[in-house]
Amino acid sequence: MNAPHLDIRGLTVDFTTPTGPVHALRDVSFAVPQNSVTGIVGESGSGKSTVLWSILGLLSANARVRRGEILFEGEDMLRKGTDALRAARGQDMSVVFQNPMASQIPVLTYATQMRDILYRKRDLSAADKRTLAVEMMERVGIPDPARRIDQYPHHFSGGMRQRAGIAMALLPRPRLLLADEPTTALDVTMEAQVIHLIRDLATELETTVLVVSHNLGLIAEMCDHVVVMYAGEVVEAGPVRELFHNARHPYTRALLDCDPARITRKTRHLPVIEGSLPDLSAPPKGCIFAARCPKATLHCEAEAPSAQVSGGRHSVRCHFPVTEKSVPDAPRILDAPHATPPDAGDIPLLEVPYLNVRFRTMGPIRARLNGVADPFVDAVLDVGLTVRRGETLGLVGESGSGKTTLGRAILNLTRASAGSVRFEGREVRNLPERAFKPLRRDMAMMFQDAIGSLSPRKTVRALIAEPFVIHGAQDRDLDREAERLADLVQLPRAFLGRYPHELSGGQARRVGVARALALNPKLIIADEPTAGLDVSVQGDILNLMAELQREKGLSYLLITHNLPVVRHVSDRLAIMYMGRIVETGEAEAIFNQPGHPYTEALVRGVPQPDPDQRRTAPPLRGEVPSLMNRPRGCDFAARCPFAKDECRQIKPSQSTRADGRVIACHFPLI
Amino acid sequence: MFFYLIKRIGLSVAVIGLVVLMSFALLHLIPGDPATIALGPRASAETIDRFTEKMHLDEPVWRQFLIFAGNVVTGDLGEDVFSNRPVTQIIGENIGFTLALGAAGLGWAILVGIPLGCLAALRPNSALDRATGILSVGTIAVPSFVIAIWSLLLFAVTLRWLPAIGAGEPGNLPDQLAHLILPAFALGLGWVGYLSRMVRASLLEVMNEDYIRAANAFGLRPGRVIFGYALRVAILPTITLIGLGFGGLISSTVFAEVIFARPGLGKLLYDMVSARNFPVVQGAVLVTTGLYITFVLLSDLIIAWLDPRVRDAL
Repeated sequence: MNAPHLDIRGLTVDFTTPTGPVHALRDVSFAVPQNSVTGIVGESGSGKSTVLWSILGLLSANARVRRGEILFEGEDMLRKGTDALRAARGQDMSVVFQNPMASQIPVLTYATQMRDILYRKRDLSAADKRTLAVEMMERVGIPDPARRIDQYPHHFSGGMRQRAGIAMALLPRPRLLLADEPTTALDVTMEAQVIHLIRDLATELETTVLVVSHNLGLIAEMCDHVVVMYAGEVVEAGPVRELFHNARHPYTRALLDCDPARITRKTRHLPVIEGSLPDLSAPPKGCIFAARCPKATLHCEAEAPSAQVSGGRHSVRCHFPVTEKSVPDAPRILDAPHATPPDAGDIPLLEVPYLNVRFRTMGPIRARLNGVADPFVDAVLDVGLTVRRGETLGLVGESGSGKTTLGRAILNLTRASAGSVRFEGREVRNLPERAFKPLRRDMAMMFQDAIGSLSPRKTVRALIAEPFVIHGAQDRDLDREAERLADLVQLPRAFLGRYPHELSGGQARRVGVARALALNPKLIIADEPTAGLDVSVQGDILNLMAELQREKGLSYLLITHNLPVVRHVSDRLAIMYMGRIVETGEAEAIFNQPGHPYTEALVRGVPQPDPDQRRTAPPLRGEVPSLMNRPRGCDFAARCPFAKDECRQIKPSQSTRADGRVIACHFPLI
Repeated sequence: MFFYLIKRIGLSVAVIGLVVLMSFALLHLIPGDPATIALGPRASAETIDRFTEKMHLDEPVWRQFLIFAGNVVTGDLGEDVFSNRPVTQIIGENIGFTLALGAAGLGWAILVGIPLGCLAALRPNSALDRATGILSVGTIAVPSFVIAIWSLLLFAVTLRWLPAIGAGEPGNLPDQLAHLILPAFALGLGWVGYLSRMVRASLLEVMNEDYIRAANAFGLRPGRVIFGYALRVAILPTITLIGLGFGGLISSTVFAEVIFARPGLGKLLYDMVSARNFPVVQGAVLVTTGLYITFVLLSDLIIAWLDPRVRDAL
């Protein structure tokens, strides 16, 4: 075993708040071996980011380090002066950030940003620095780096930006690379590419990596060692295989159980971790997880456990660690059957024979001046789909695939340029808002940004009752309705008096569900209903949605990029790429045997939360092409591993299989 | 970029056309005979006749407008009713003083206000921040003519450090500069407050951005992070404000010019409105509008030059 490169001992950090100190980190200790990839995994509020910023000495102004040491190559970073610490940053240690959209300054070119990072290398000329920067851009896979380095961040797509972010972090050849949720802002196919890029480059440049993430798949795919954090404490740490196959702390077990990607059998009821994080302004005296632990005893509540080490490197902080093996997929949960099976014969609730949405990209005069014949892009192109009563259709695609635009066009929030939308057999496309308004009672929307879609100046009570006010149902007792809905979505009534900023992500989602349900709709269009939620809460919301579907016979159109989730809650799937639907069919069938190469790439693109299922290479290279220059042949041809000449020349038409599966591909996989 | 410029210049021409129309209409919308209005009630019949002929007041209104607009396009803004000198010449004599006063007034405000705003933002809630906060609100709230009168009384009358009135001896630069100090001080003081508040607010906001955290995480020097990164973004809204400030020069210089008895466009406009010298007023209003549009366009172009996102969206 290598000597630890980074050794954190007893790190204790408080945050000063107007209501008193919050004990964010308590006695955090773990080691990062040299030339390894170590992951810190935890949900929001676990303190994993605080650890990262402590190492860099960039904690916010209200943070106080109470105790502890951060030994980096034997030197305590906490005892270093600000100048010495700054000298280490961007030289000995460097960072890849979570959101490349926000962490790169928009007004400077990459060349300038990268030259700035190398400012300490006085012996290098400006030309030398540029050469180094271009080389690093090439290494991370940016095409034509000598030209693109003079561009600004907004000229790069999301995936390319994160590549550039990695290039910037590795440019000074740091010995320690910190990565803060490096793929959270990226699509599935991009995520896989970035994971492999960081891993490969770290090996090549002999860099030690510490990655922070809530994504178990990423941790399993990328890391050699894992540290599990909960509510500001390290609860378990060890080699990655030990942790995923032999987890000993009940929290780690619960976290693994919650991950929908680890549940191989389809289930309508996802596991959750009951309860919520303890209040860290007054952490419990005993075990931090005791309140939510199914096995907790009085002893657990009275006395905090100390770390027990087994097998040399696997440490766990629990009085009664689990001993039996944790095999991925322990189907403890029984599949709840559909109370009302989708009826096939009747008129479908929502039927879209075909629908097109075009957006103008430039004004008519400018288009003429620039010689652009067609100043439009097709955001949604000849898309057809059907949602039956009581059914959930999952609409899956990466960002820019047009899935949200399609949802908005169905709800008459975006004008469709051609096609037809039939709701209960009635044509509703582009109806004037006055004629459409009554339909909004039957079709509700759950927005992607749960907190952002709630007016910050209204109480939860007013927000839940708002649909009644809008639709003129004021004769009802609004208070009673708000309480009924709050009960329905299992939101404690005490929350009715609060404002959106006082809600957690999961609570805000519940408010969103309550608002969507207020007028007893028949169809709910849910745009990324679990975006930004922790796995333990994600299950809660999905279970609630499934329960309401059973009770009320609701239909859902679920718009998402999260495949493991959509698998468990959808009856059928529609896969979208560049505004077109490339495959539709039964969810289970598609998962077991994808027909379109893109579907396959998506299904296999999700990193598996099992270190034994690591991939050697990302399933898909390249990026989604711009809608402005749609390929002549198949839209996917440029990225498809199976593409032939025919694919590049001729657009594939949709063909229907015996089992009802529709695939738009010249050479389908089945 | 080219397309954008064409579009903006086209819009500017449209705005100026509208102003020409309105300043022309002004003379005709006031009840009564335009010649009498322009020349005042005591004008002799002979003067009125001469004026009527010169201004083509005997022609139909639309023809009058076309003649007027045509003259404007060729750079002929008419003649002073009393002295018969071309209006362009009168404006030309005055505009330099106003531009000098505006540049000096806003110039010192920029040189003091922006650094003050930066200092306040870097140490929020420090003594300096609180002091600039109170002073800013104070200087913004006190009308600039009050400051002008007080500074005149204190520095020129009581202390006798600086000259009180006029623009100084022509050709004598030190004397002219000495005459510029007090009006520029009075004009700029409010702007110091404005600019420091503005810079403080936007710098504080930018300092919380992820890319500032990233720059710190790469160990860049604090000076580079603040001035090379944060201020680079935070200054953008302030540039718009400065553009508007320069554009609105006439309205802000009129007090200073009247109180310090300085020549300039503001003083000219004030005098000519009192004297009902319509052609000069019309000309001055047109030039003012043109200046305003030019400065706002200029500030937009500077922003486009500094912010590639804006540049690409043009």
